[in-house]
Amino acid sequence: MTTALATTGNKTPQAGADLLRIVRINEEIKSVVNVAFKINIMALNAIFLAKRAGTAARGFGVLSNELRVFSQELRDCMASLTGLVYGCVGEVSRMLQDIRYTRLLRQAVAMSPVAQLSAVLAAREIENERHAESLGRQRKQLKMALEDAFRMVELGGVLAKSAKIEAAYGQSFAVPLAQVSGEFDGIVEEIRVSLESLRRSAFFAGK
Amino acid sequence: MKKTKTIFQEGNHKWIAIVRDPAKPNYLIDTNEYLVTHDGKGLLLDPGGAEIFPAVFSALSSEFDPTALVGIFASHQDPDICSSLALWLEFNPAMRCHVSWLWSGFIPHFGGSADTFVCLPDEGGDIPLDGLMLRAVPAHYLHSSGNFNLYDKVAKVMFSGDIGAALLPPGEDGLFVENFDRHIRHAEGFHKRWMGSNEAKRRWCERVSQMEIDMLCPQHGAIYQGGDVQRFINWFDELQVGVVND
Ligand SMILES: [Fe+2]
Ligand SMILES: [Fe+2]
Repeated sequence: MTTALATTGNKTPQAGADLLRIVRINEEIKSVVNVAFKINIMALNAIFLAKRAGTAARGFGVLSNELRVFSQELRDCMASLTGLVYGCVGEVSRMLQDIRYTRLLRQAVAMSPVAQLSAVLAAREIENERHAESLGRQRKQLKMALEDAFRMVELGGVLAKSAKIEAAYGQSFAVPLAQVSGEFDGIVEEIRVSLESLRRSAFFAGK
Repeated sequence: MKKTKTIFQEGNHKWIAIVRDPAKPNYLIDTNEYLVTHDGKGLLLDPGGAEIFPAVFSALSSEFDPTALVGIFASHQDPDICSSLALWLEFNPAMRCHVSWLWSGFIPHFGGSADTFVCLPDEGGDIPLDGLMLRAVPAHYLHSSGNFNLYDKVAKVMFSGDIGAALLPPGEDGLFVENFDRHIRHAEGFHKRWMGSNEAKRRWCERVSQMEIDMLCPQHGAIYQGGDVQRFINWFDELQVGVVND
């Protein structure tokens, strides 16, 4: 029978490494979530500033509303990423558990090839495979969600850059508008870089 | 999955309780795990059984970077305390496990190597956590013959292992004791049967009533806080333990 864990000997470090990778992704996402939280406050700031600037910064005003919508969408997106990564951490740690039990069962079967024990091992391996498939599904979902988040953040970057340009037309408000849009752009870029590195994680190379 | 709840926080010094998994099958006794963090490093207290490793691991990771765990404190040798040890070590083989010298030859049956264990002498000792000094307080025969509590004098939190444990029915399983008299009924049978020595209990009660404790955190059931801590100590002092109806 070929199963996901058939080559247990070298699968253990694989699952251990996977757990370490998904833990790193989790840590990165937690820090991105914190940063994304700041964006909401910034967007509010931008709206207040645009209101005060009034007609002097009409273009900026329109963009600041867009930034606010973006920041809310980003928050939803981060919430779903957090949920998915949480599921993956659970599934990978379950596989680590599977591997330990499978190794012990396999040693027992090797020492005393009792038919019943072999059946137990086979059932265990089917269960392992189910967990591996479930992880595969969750891994794919997480990858897709990361791609979505990345696209959204790229759009946010474009908005922030447009806001920077609009800020220049803000007359007496040009300086504070430039500052707020510059900060926004900085944060969006920070998130973009984090997501970019997450997409490249070796975790997604697994099946 | 288990839930996490920060029960103490002062800057980067935290106590996090990992509790109440609605998905846990009923035949497994419910356990509380605690994480103490200081300056980005963490010590996990009674990490729990192998069966609940995924639930504890994922809950912990939602709050704290598990690669920053430096060790495990095992109050005693029971399977619900540390049979998950091998899995934690598979994730991070550098973790150390602090445990009574009495069990240092027994717990390796759950996992670990010669380098894993830091043996606590009977009188207890300090366990450093990145600048924070925690104290292993003797609680032998309550219930295990080599048994420790863990005290944090800065947070004034005492992890009491099986002491203070209660088997709470659904609907009465809040994280904190709310009504002492109602709560303690669910602790009585446990203490009478699991605790073996009235003499050891006497000494424990004397010792801990001298200590400043805001929260007494057991491995099962609910946390005693404020006046309920002394209320528990008094109740325990009065209780006859080592009782079995055979
Ligand atoms: Fe116990
Ligand atoms: Fe226990």
